[in-house]
Amino acid sequence: MGHIPCSFSLMDNHQSSSHPDTRRQLQMARSMCWHCQSEVTGEYFCDRCVKVQPVSKETDYFTCLGFPRRLMLDPQKLEAKFYELSRTFHPDFYQTKSADEQTISLSNAAVLNTAYRTLRAPIQRAEYLLALETGSVKDIRTSPPADLFEEILELQDTLEEYRASDRDSDQGHRLRSTLKTEQEALERRKHEMEAQLQQLFADWDQLQDAGEATSLARVERDRILKQMRDLLSNRTYVNNIVNDLAATIA
Amino acid sequence: MAYSDKVVDHFNNPRNMGSFKKDDADVGTGMVGAPECGDVMKLQIKVQNDTIVDAKFKTFGCGSAIASSSLATEWLKGKTIEEAQKIKNTDIVQELNLPPVKIHCSVLAEDAIKAALADYQKKTDGQPTGTK
Repeated sequence: MGHIPCSFSLMDNHQSSSHPDTRRQLQMARSMCWHCQSEVTGEYFCDRCVKVQPVSKETDYFTCLGFPRRLMLDPQKLEAKFYELSRTFHPDFYQTKSADEQTISLSNAAVLNTAYRTLRAPIQRAEYLLALETGSVKDIRTSPPADLFEEILELQDTLEEYRASDRDSDQGHRLRSTLKTEQEALERRKHEMEAQLQQLFADWDQLQDAGEATSLARVERDRILKQMRDLLSNRTYVNNIVNDLAATIA
Repeated sequence: MAYSDKVVDHFNNPRNMGSFKKDDADVGTGMVGAPECGDVMKLQIKVQNDTIVDAKFKTFGCGSAIASSSLATEWLKGKTIEEAQKIKNTDIVQELNLPPVKIHCSVLAEDAIKAALADYQKKTDGQPTGTK
């Protein structure tokens, strides 16, 4: 087993946090070290007493992993950071530390795992960002896609018919091939939606990178978020029926 | 958490499944979806003299969503438009004994009722027999 001494990872983080550049923006939502009461400016550790600091429950997962709120994150960088922080907080390295530090390392490791699981998948990442940016997903009221719903409910009827039919009969075969065609068409639509989402992700990142606070930028921000909300919901609807189709005619 | 007996009953024997012609003047259609879980619900009412004489639903979703809409159609029948407005998702939660994770299904059913009523009222407002 490759042992990484605890003091090494502590020092590593301690040093990197002393660079007062962009990392400063990624501070945890707290100001005072629980141990020495000095002001905490480091990311995960106190600058003065080098004690591990609890990642606040209010800290968003992007901040937790040290990434800006972007949607096109490099999966390899994300993974590398996750491994780095996993080592940093791993409870094994805190066995000789105080009970407080052990508790903090354990809870940090748990938050970190959830953060990574959420941000790893692009769709989930976008859903999470949307929730962060809009407070609650429900705040963006969208008109339900009536046509899509009609289609889904109609397909549902055909599915029921197929389930009730004799699979080996002519009717069973006919229904099955109808459903198969529908499934393929829906899968194509799902991919189209995902391509559109990709474009919106790029738009979002570009807008954030530009960092303008103009009213035009606000309009653009709202457009992206709203379209993203619509596409993500519609994709979920389509995805559900596709899975149902696949499971039934498999 | 297991489904309550009432949910299972509605799921196995859904009441009033089906649909009306949505262009009929005496029909109100509510079409709603839950983006979080992907459930889709269509609820329709048939109205005569301000009273809901029939109701139908179609739901694509989990057992609780189906049970919620099935129960909603049962409750709607015989109610006046005004009485129907008062149906709350909490009534459905109570009747079906829904666990906290399934409360959104009852919210969806309430949304569907509201949407169906609104659709019917929009149709009747446009009628020449109305005040307008």
